[in-house]
Amino acid sequence: MTLFLDIVSTAAILFIVAAGLLAIFGVLKIINFAHGAWLTIGAYCAVVVSGFGLNPWLAIPFAFLVGAVLGGVAERFIVRPLYRRPLDAILATWGLGIVIGQLITLWFGRDVQFTPALLPGTFDLFGTGYSAYRLFAIVAAIGLGLGFTLLLDGTRLGLSARAVIMNETLARGLGIDTEKVRLATFMIGTGLAALAGVLLAPLTSVDPNMGVAWLTGAFMLVMVAGSSFTALAVACLIFGAAQVLVSTYFSPILGGITVAVLCAITLRIRPKGFARA
Amino acid sequence: MQMKTIILTLASAAFATAAFAEDPIKIGVPVGLSGANSVVAPSVVQAAELAVEEINAKGGVLGRPLELEIADDASGAAGAQKAFDSLVFQKEVNVIISMETSAARNAGLPIISKGDVPYIYTSFYEGKSCNANLFVDAWVPEQQVPPVVDNFISKQGARKFFLIGSDYAFGRGMLTFAKGYIEKAGAQIVGEEYLPMDGSDWTAIISKVKSSGADAIITSTAGGAPNVTLTKQLRSSGVTLPYGNLAVDEGTAKSMGADAKDIFLSASYVTGIDSPENKAFLSAMDKKFGKELRTPNDLSVPQYEAIYLYKAAVEKAGSTDTADVLKALPDVSFTGPRGKISMNKQHHAPLTMYLGQVKDDGSVAVVDSFKDVDPGGQCPNL
Repeated sequence: MTLFLDIVSTAAILFIVAAGLLAIFGVLKIINFAHGAWLTIGAYCAVVVSGFGLNPWLAIPFAFLVGAVLGGVAERFIVRPLYRRPLDAILATWGLGIVIGQLITLWFGRDVQFTPALLPGTFDLFGTGYSAYRLFAIVAAIGLGLGFTLLLDGTRLGLSARAVIMNETLARGLGIDTEKVRLATFMIGTGLAALAGVLLAPLTSVDPNMGVAWLTGAFMLVMVAGSSFTALAVACLIFGAAQVLVSTYFSPILGGITVAVLCAITLRIRPKGFARA
Repeated sequence: MQMKTIILTLASAAFATAAFAEDPIKIGVPVGLSGANSVVAPSVVQAAELAVEEINAKGGVLGRPLELEIADDASGAAGAQKAFDSLVFQKEVNVIISMETSAARNAGLPIISKGDVPYIYTSFYEGKSCNANLFVDAWVPEQQVPPVVDNFISKQGARKFFLIGSDYAFGRGMLTFAKGYIEKAGAQIVGEEYLPMDGSDWTAIISKVKSSGADAIITSTAGGAPNVTLTKQLRSSGVTLPYGNLAVDEGTAKSMGADAKDIFLSASYVTGIDSPENKAFLSAMDKKFGKELRTPNDLSVPQYEAIYLYKAAVEKAGSTDTADVLKALPDVSFTGPRGKISMNKQHHAPLTMYLGQVKDDGSVAVVDSFKDVDPGGQCPNL
């Protein structure tokens, strides 16, 4: 039972971390390598909110807002000129990530920061006491996935975004302001990354480099998932399960590289990954 | 990361220097101002500055003032090579006294031998680093592990231990010693797991702890991030077993808040030591640095004492000549914040160890103390 919960909650955390990256990659076809930096920004939002003595849950909307606004600025000045040069965009966003990391270091120092636990203690489920916060992460991931499906299938922005994904030239011909769709998508993606940072904060240490450790895994998962949130959920479950099983039955040291290795193998065999297209 | 070594020269206590006619005695301090040690390095530098200021105010050593040469070793081997090289051969320091990572120490030792200067290492470490020019005034596993294990076995009734560490020399070294010590004491090891230093997901290991039937945990992770993530995840999984953390210090415990409560730690220095020397030291630090003060700790206090030990050795030898100073170092002692320190056991020092437990408010209560714990046979050939 614990093993099952470990697998599902690990997958949920991977999904939360990768969602923002997928949102941007799905629509814009560029990889935001500053994703790790936005995770870090989100976690520091949690530090700031708790520093003001506010309710720690307020950090979630606050981080989304800060992440989205900073994302908007980055899109306008750094990413926008690079949509046709995806390789340069990788370089530019990677550099941006380093700059953000250094700015955070200047502001908050290198030290590890601490945030209050959002949900302390354990919750009895099927007879085993399991970390309440990890159970909450499962709920949060499902909520995030459903929210995204609604956004894509049920709103005007979602419709426009899907049009841009399928055929951008045609979408522009139909009068869709693709520039605005891109800006909105980038802001949502970075907002989600920051939100993920808040959700990660109670599980990890908050320091200027915390995002980097999560970037590789998220990147590999998004490569496998393509532009589909369903595919991402499936990828997170499969590779999350592999990671937990390898860590449990072989060695946690090998477990740490399981996701990256399996994703690379998957892409070698099936270049399109889990995407149906 | 900026790996370039930056040499900062600090003019020590200008008023005192002016009064000396003789050349200063230069103390090289390679320290991790950047990288993993950057959190603790400023406290080490402050402790060294206070020692030098105090000694110079009282007339220096053999009538010569002390001067610090501080260099960033970037907490690693590559940075340490540059820092040691520059200190020994360009700045021509008389001695190296510093708290560093094991990687930095190992990279610096060949340069120490080549340049033939004394080197006092002031960081606790995994033990058994031996060199004719190297002295250590901080603890080794033989001194730090027994207080925790003995307490768990005799006071908490622990019989089954689970060991968790970061996968690097210090983490593995500490737990290897702990394993042998626990087994010799008649208790059992029910699990031993490691995660890479940059790993942050302890899920599988924690599930193993819960299913192993362990009744005590001992951890030795890298300081900072891994220690914090492990503690947070252990607590959020509801693990309340006696928890001995070999890598946590008072400051980190305090900032970890509620998650750190009840953790056992073992150290040769805690701020609560009730001695006139410690009180005088703390108030002098407070007076000198005021708001800038970094809390003195188990890494910065040995640095302070090592400078006094060097002073005593130079005075006994009557010169700064390396051979004479090395001959005098094992014989001298200094009574500082940690008590009377003498590096008389194969270049290592017997130390009084304190077993502390973190209280509700994050402060550390001393549960037990162990007087003059022997470092054991570290370097039988010296």
